[in-house]
Amino acid sequence: MSTHAASPSSGIPAFSASASATGAPAAGRALTIGVAGIVLTALGMLFTDPSKIAFSWLVGITFWGGIALGMLLLVMIHHIFDASWSVVLRRQFEHGLVSFKWLGILFLPLLVSVVLYPGSVWKWMDPHYDLSQVGGHGTVGSDELWVKKSGLLNPTMFIIVTIASFAIWVWLSARLRRASFAQDADGDVKWTRQNRITSAFGIPVTAITLTLAIILWVKSLDYHWFSTMYGVWYFANCARAALSAGVIMMVWLWYRGDLKGILNDNHLYCIGMLMLTFTVFWGYVTFSQYFLIWNANVPEETFWYNLREINNSDGQPNQWKWVGMTLLFGHFFWPFCMLLSYKRKLNKVALPRLAVTIAAIILLDMIYNVWPSKKNALGDPLPFLAVHQIWTLTAVVGIGGICIWAYLKSFSTTKLIPIRDPRIGECLTYHESSPD
Amino acid sequence: MAAQPYGLVAVFDTAPDIYHAAERVRDAGYKFWDCITPCPVHGLDRAMGVRRSRVPRISLMGGILGFTTGMLLIYFTDAYDYPLIVGGKPFFSPMFAFPVSYELTILFTAFATIGGMFILNGLPMHYHPVLKSNHILRGLDDKFLVVIEARDPKFNLNATRALLENIGGKEITELEA
Repeated sequence: MSTHAASPSSGIPAFSASASATGAPAAGRALTIGVAGIVLTALGMLFTDPSKIAFSWLVGITFWGGIALGMLLLVMIHHIFDASWSVVLRRQFEHGLVSFKWLGILFLPLLVSVVLYPGSVWKWMDPHYDLSQVGGHGTVGSDELWVKKSGLLNPTMFIIVTIASFAIWVWLSARLRRASFAQDADGDVKWTRQNRITSAFGIPVTAITLTLAIILWVKSLDYHWFSTMYGVWYFANCARAALSAGVIMMVWLWYRGDLKGILNDNHLYCIGMLMLTFTVFWGYVTFSQYFLIWNANVPEETFWYNLREINNSDGQPNQWKWVGMTLLFGHFFWPFCMLLSYKRKLNKVALPRLAVTIAAIILLDMIYNVWPSKKNALGDPLPFLAVHQIWTLTAVVGIGGICIWAYLKSFSTTKLIPIRDPRIGECLTYHESSPD
Repeated sequence: MAAQPYGLVAVFDTAPDIYHAAERVRDAGYKFWDCITPCPVHGLDRAMGVRRSRVPRISLMGGILGFTTGMLLIYFTDAYDYPLIVGGKPFFSPMFAFPVSYELTILFTAFATIGGMFILNGLPMHYHPVLKSNHILRGLDDKFLVVIEARDPKFNLNATRALLENIGGKEITELEA
């Protein structure tokens, strides 16, 4: 219940102009950068093993896909809780959701590799894959652990899950976007109700597809491994990535002048609190995964962490150990301590800076989860610092450019904020605590 | 001259009245004073110049104490007082001390937050001079009260009364100490 006297219409006129003033040049630049990154990554196949390029591509897809998935879930969580403070933030997330269809298209090269070169990225796709190439013995087809898991781990399931997941995400986001944008025009409360219903079934459906997708795309790169935490781990990263993107978008629009007088300290405080929450959540999930495996000490599970600390061949520490340490301190302790401060959550310099740091570390987390599964004949993971990581960078920049272009293009087509949302008045006068 | 009163109380009719009155009292430099309102008035804390609570600092101290207690507890019992090998693990590792430390961090933070709030608010408080005022029941129902305490260094019976009158306070009365 609102204690505010402000009616939705009172604060609106100044903002009712369409947000189309966004530079088309900005979108054009993003598209140029995106295409350049993709072309460079594609050219990389001439210089290096194409399966390495596929690993880089997978990092890019799961990173930017994570941001979009986080936005999708946060929008649906907003609707299901009938939240008021996040109405303004929700509109930026809705623009971000448009990237799903492009991510789906950008996933196609990996699906093509599944059909034409099975086993090149995900070994289990090829039952004749000779495991001695990666420090094992026998073939995948003779591997009891694969045989038992082959109900899910087979190319058909992979293709079905991937296409179905993207179809569901594209459909859900289109539905949420359409209703929200339609409400800008007619202010009908039925759109809010429709979005609430969409969210009620959308959240579990997204949770399941997200879990299946990340298990097939990333976790199955080492198909021996078991972890019940993997889907939740990816969800935690998704939410953190989306919140970081949210801070960057909102503060950018504030500096540009669009959100002056709209974005207030209490909005930033709430986003900051959610960032802190999901920092703890990520820490909890990641620690739980490590702790259970460490405690049970079963070889089929511990090898995954061993790979990321010591070489299989000689037991010497490898570079991934330091990546893991960076994740421990940079992905949990540092943001946790920074976000405890009330004032930093309101700071329009420090908070976006922290958001960029968190986003960068999420990228590192994706690299940490994807790359060590690429092994040499001794079974040692390829080092973290290697020339082929250039293609990871180009892939991330390329896919990112496309996602940002899609966001900016969508941004210019609608109102800056959902001006006729039933909760917009509450959002604009949102008051949680007194800033000092 | 009669004994020094506890302070002065003034009655206001509406939330905007007390909001602006609070700004004036704040700007006059008073420190020991308060508003009594029947409902939350948004922004009143800012109009009163109330600083952010110091409770979070106490919470943080509670959290650090809880985490340390958890780690030391596991170290003391498993590695010092009664060393025991369990599951081939070392006598002490932060890994298995972590769940305990995590729980104690939360527990001690909660205790420190509640305790800190009670201490900083001077709770439990069974009696307060304002309760003797005839206005207090209206102040909890439909009127808005400002109370300025006599212990404030700027307090002067006549000057403060003049200020309260000046900002629109009605039925200004002295509170018995």
